[in-house]
Amino acid sequence: MELKNSSINDIRKALDGKEISVKELTDEYYSRIESADKKLDCFITLSKEQAYKACDKAQEKINKGEASPLTGIPMAIKDNICTEGVKTTCASRMLENFIPPYNATVMDKLENEGIVMLGKVSMDEFAMGGSTQTAAFKKTKNPYDTNRVPGGSSGGSASAVSSDLCTAALGSDTGGSIRQPSSFCGVTGMKPTYSRVSRYGLVAFASSLDQIGPVAKNAQDCGTILNAICGFDIHDGTSAKVDVPDFNAKIGRDIKGLKIALPKEFFAEGIDDVIKNAVLKAADEYKAMGAELVECSMPSLKYAIPAYYLIASAEAASNLSRYDGIKYGHRTDKKCESYDELIKASRREGFGDEVKRRILLGNYALSSGYYDAYYGKAMALRQLIRKEYNDIFEKCDVILTPTTPTTAYRCDENISDPVKMYQADICTVTVNIAGLPAISTPCGYDGKGLPIGMSVIGKPFDEQTVIQTADAYEKNFTRVLPNID
Amino acid sequence: MDLEMVKYLAELGKLDFTDDELKKASSDMTSIIELMDKVKEIDVTYDALADNKNIYLNDLREDFNEPSMPTEKVIANAKNRDNCFVVPKVVE
Repeated sequence: MELKNSSINDIRKALDGKEISVKELTDEYYSRIESADKKLDCFITLSKEQAYKACDKAQEKINKGEASPLTGIPMAIKDNICTEGVKTTCASRMLENFIPPYNATVMDKLENEGIVMLGKVSMDEFAMGGSTQTAAFKKTKNPYDTNRVPGGSSGGSASAVSSDLCTAALGSDTGGSIRQPSSFCGVTGMKPTYSRVSRYGLVAFASSLDQIGPVAKNAQDCGTILNAICGFDIHDGTSAKVDVPDFNAKIGRDIKGLKIALPKEFFAEGIDDVIKNAVLKAADEYKAMGAELVECSMPSLKYAIPAYYLIASAEAASNLSRYDGIKYGHRTDKKCESYDELIKASRREGFGDEVKRRILLGNYALSSGYYDAYYGKAMALRQLIRKEYNDIFEKCDVILTPTTPTTAYRCDENISDPVKMYQADICTVTVNIAGLPAISTPCGYDGKGLPIGMSVIGKPFDEQTVIQTADAYEKNFTRVLPNID
Repeated sequence: MDLEMVKYLAELGKLDFTDDELKKASSDMTSIIELMDKVKEIDVTYDALADNKNIYLNDLREDFNEPSMPTEKVIANAKNRDNCFVVPKVVE
């Protein structure tokens, strides 16, 4: 049977109703990947052997009537999430041949649910970028226009979901890396509250900002995946000891009286008119549904980009110091007389330009004489941004903003201009700085037919209201699917 | 940012650049630092105590024994190995 662009729910019904077997479904997805991924370059590794083994297990569960919501669901996993026995490259020469000896906690949880992992998808190298063009291999394309970027860093996840090369995917979000590509590719992606999902086994970029989350066809599917991957984990010292509710429990409830904040700085200069108008139109639709729109302000937004890049790069410089060419990762073939020579040569060959820039910036921000002026100031701004969000949430339930200042740009734009590339993250970074949950869902298309995304930002640990709000809009929105043939 | 500063930062990060790459890095870093300098415009001070409630500090788990990963699994990703990690001579 044909299951094109189906949600997790649709596939669940088809599998449980024996309209299709898990193996047939997996075959269908691999045949789509075979024909379409030549144009899109989403997958770095296909894990067919593991996938077909997972099929058998999943089918057994279904046959016994013991299926979980994700049993048999074909998923793609961002290539910075450790998968035991399956290469995890971070789209970097540094980890080109790295086969993790253990699973990330999220992978244990998903395997326990019985997903079928089709393969590992591309990203910006070490998740540093917003275009997937800093990948050392597989520079993923946007399914709406293959001359344009899919966004990033989870560009492989978003492009694969958008073009239906998987039902859903996992990504990771440090400064917008799930929401921005979801916006560019016209799908729904969610960054949970910091500490909701264990980071154990997520290759570290900026540990106080990184968070794993779903990319899917709609908000409800995001909730279904969150239900499976959230929870306290003894292996992650920052993982929160909080209850995990049913994230989809509020779906379908009336949003009458919901207070939606619109911070004026997110609709100011620098955001394309077509995007502003689409998000404001969505706000009007919420109003028509009975929500109350509240104007508000976030004055610190103008400092958000430097604050984010200082914090993220400082943490990255420390986290990436582990790559010495000895324990794992790229080791130079050059004959080296000293440890210093070996580590420098290995890092020189293993890291790409953007990764090196971030290490330089991070070390600059942390070095003596500059620490207070840069890193210290960025940490103070982090507190200010958090306070401004708290103030808004005193009066509102959720915040609505554009996800990106522009729609997807051409593959040859921005890549050689780091400053331009960093400034494009203006709509997403504050959410990571404050550790909040946020979802991006499509709310329109520009004159070229490229998707526009809007973000719903919630209070800490209130993913339920975020999902409810996004779902209420999605119910009345018709998606225009990409044509990749 | 001058070349000496880039060389110093590269040394801190164990990175190795050719002369041409150093010049390029110096130019990129100059524009990046200009963007970062925006934070100097605002007078705010970091309050470490206020942050404690936002971070799960000192919430350490119980100390207990768990089986270790077998040696062959641990070293499987090392390019140069001999039942242990092999490194260049580090003592004279």
